[in-house]
Amino acid sequence: MAPHTTLEDLVGIEHSKLGFYQELQRKVEELKTSNNELEEKRKEVQALLDGITDLMVVLSEDLKIQSVNHVFGEWYPEADPIGKKCYEIFNEGDSPCEECPVLKALDCDETTKDLRIYEEGGKLRHYELIASPLKISTTGERTVLLFKRDVTREKEFQAQFYQAEKMATVGTLAAGVAHEINNPLTAISGFAEGLRRRLSRIQGKVEDDLYDDFEEYTDTILKECLRCRDIVRSLLTFSRPVASTLRPVDLNQCIEDTLFILKHHFKEQHKVTVKTELYKKLPMIQGDESQLKQVIINLFTNALDAMDGGGTLLVKTYPLEDNGAGLIVKDTGCGIPQEIQNKLFEPFFTTKPAGKGVGIGLSTCYSIVKNHNGEISVSSEEGKGSSFCVRIPGIDK
Amino acid sequence: METTKFAIPEIIFGRGSLKYAGQCALRHGAKKVFLVSDSGIEEAGWVQRLMDVLAEAGINWIYYPGVTSNPRDYEVEQGAKFYLKNDCDVIMAIGGGSSLDTAKGIAIIASNGGKIRDYEGANRVERPLPPMVFITTTAGSGSDISQFCIITDVERAVKMSIITRTLVPNIAIVDPLILRTKTETLIIQSAVDALAHAIEAYVSRIASPFTEPQSLKAIDLIMRNLQSAVQTRSLDSLEQLSIASIAASMAFSNASLGAEHALAHSLGGQFDMSHGVIHPILLTSVMRFNLDSCVSKMADIGRVILNKNLGSDKETAMEGINKLDEFFASFDVPLKLRQVVNKDDQKHLEPICKMAVNDVCNLTNPRSASWQELLTICEKVW
Repeated sequence: MAPHTTLEDLVGIEHSKLGFYQELQRKVEELKTSNNELEEKRKEVQALLDGITDLMVVLSEDLKIQSVNHVFGEWYPEADPIGKKCYEIFNEGDSPCEECPVLKALDCDETTKDLRIYEEGGKLRHYELIASPLKISTTGERTVLLFKRDVTREKEFQAQFYQAEKMATVGTLAAGVAHEINNPLTAISGFAEGLRRRLSRIQGKVEDDLYDDFEEYTDTILKECLRCRDIVRSLLTFSRPVASTLRPVDLNQCIEDTLFILKHHFKEQHKVTVKTELYKKLPMIQGDESQLKQVIINLFTNALDAMDGGGTLLVKTYPLEDNGAGLIVKDTGCGIPQEIQNKLFEPFFTTKPAGKGVGIGLSTCYSIVKNHNGEISVSSEEGKGSSFCVRIPGIDK
Repeated sequence: METTKFAIPEIIFGRGSLKYAGQCALRHGAKKVFLVSDSGIEEAGWVQRLMDVLAEAGINWIYYPGVTSNPRDYEVEQGAKFYLKNDCDVIMAIGGGSSLDTAKGIAIIASNGGKIRDYEGANRVERPLPPMVFITTTAGSGSDISQFCIITDVERAVKMSIITRTLVPNIAIVDPLILRTKTETLIIQSAVDALAHAIEAYVSRIASPFTEPQSLKAIDLIMRNLQSAVQTRSLDSLEQLSIASIAASMAFSNASLGAEHALAHSLGGQFDMSHGVIHPILLTSVMRFNLDSCVSKMADIGRVILNKNLGSDKETAMEGINKLDEFFASFDVPLKLRQVVNKDDQKHLEPICKMAVNDVCNLTNPRSASWQELLTICEKVW
């Protein structure tokens, strides 16, 4: 039943035709709130997108660029990409690339990956391409999101990792071989010593010529045994470098000592000029002096060997940012071909004629430097010379 | 003077003004109009005409033909479901009081939910209603102008009055051309209904200087034009009657009614009779009952009816009421209650009067009426 009605109710001063104003206002408030929320979300998503360091483009079915992220502008500051075909920008071509991952992604309707190598500024760069079909277009038009990531550094690291792993394997192998050779070598050398001691007893009892031959052959055997012993020792050093005690070492002093030892060696090479640029206040490094000298000798002899026809040997030291010390040994010799540069530090790799070297010099250098937590690298140009760079970290980094 | 209020919809009046229905709906944001009417209007061709107008304006519509005379609560509730299901946005009704009240009821439920009886009484609708554009085909009920909506509560067998300013339609279109298809009975019934509206609003306790001239104008126009409208069916007379109806509606929507309408609602709820039938029977009796409480106002009415002044206000008033009796008698309409109610049903008069006392309309009657007094009135006109 209706509640009691009064005359005032009928006049209804306080009542009027209800409009949707309040509802409208509420709706507007709701929309404002929801708009703000969406804007926040959009900013969040934008921040996420901006955080992506890969190049991103959205492509239409006919490979026209529809939108790009900020990385695009950094990589291609000149280009105005929207509406252009992707291959016009990336490849400067006039037709789609072979086995285009975008077209493949559209065909199979699934994410496709591809690895491409482009030459840029004379250097080869590796790119990973990921194409994902997008299903968000309101018009039903299909689009593809393409990621382009520069993986050149990753590829380099990967190569270095393979190299290090190979070296470790070869090192283990070498150690095994060295041990096996050591025993027969000791026997040969022992018996050769025995023969030499007994030589005097047959002196005068055989023809002089025969005696001379015996003496010469025995000496040769012993000499070659010693050589073998050195090689074996070097091999062992390479695989399991002596747990030498590291102490503060002045790299400049090492260089000067080595130059002194090799003084005579250099004199024989009349046409080679030795230049030194030693940084006076070079920081001390933590190291094994004799091992470091071995590295320096190796680099010097290699440099001399490379400069048969004469040239300049530059020896330079410089401080490193982390309080370490760097050494550059640069020659003006024959240089090292590009394709073998990455094999230089492998054991038994040598370019010297058979008999002149066994190819453990640089590999030994490599393992010594690694044990000092340092780096050794080479840059070389054929016919112009090579430059070896050794960097050893400081005592307190 | 008490603080008062006067509210009416936008009124578009004139021959052929039906053609503006489409634009009216468009102005209220219509994409899909909920069109309410009944079979009589449909047969007269006005529904189709209105549909053409809507189509011309590029508006879709859903037609709801489920209107009966004295609309019932469940019909309104069904209509609201239909409205919501079809995602309509503007309610348009073409027809008499039943169609328009059905449309109002649907509007209330569609936007406020619940049952229609939840809104019985004054100012109980709390949420905005869909825009309403109404086209009257009777020019009598005043539902196209008023803040009233009368729906029958089937269970209680009573006509509920729902009153709220928000029920005032947004636009009322009164096109006299439509009135030409009215039957003679309908012309008389709607004119007499308007006359009752005008008289009761004039003597209402909350009549105001803004409603009173409308009442007198309506009385005047009806007295001068109804006879010729019935006899000649001239468009001019019908037009004058529709002006009278609008004027009466403006008055009663703001000043409310009286005991006569309270009784009419209760009788109508009980016997499902046409609203317009009751006024010639009851109106003058109720006026006589009220006379002493508002002699000067009744005299005003008498002056308009008689077109002259008699010796005293009371005389003028009495003579006016007598003249009104004669006026009703000049038409072929029932003048006694027994002509429209079965003898067996006379026993229902007591409960009907008890119910009428509580009708909102009784509130504004110039003289407080008890159910016994109402029963006496009924018995006088039996």
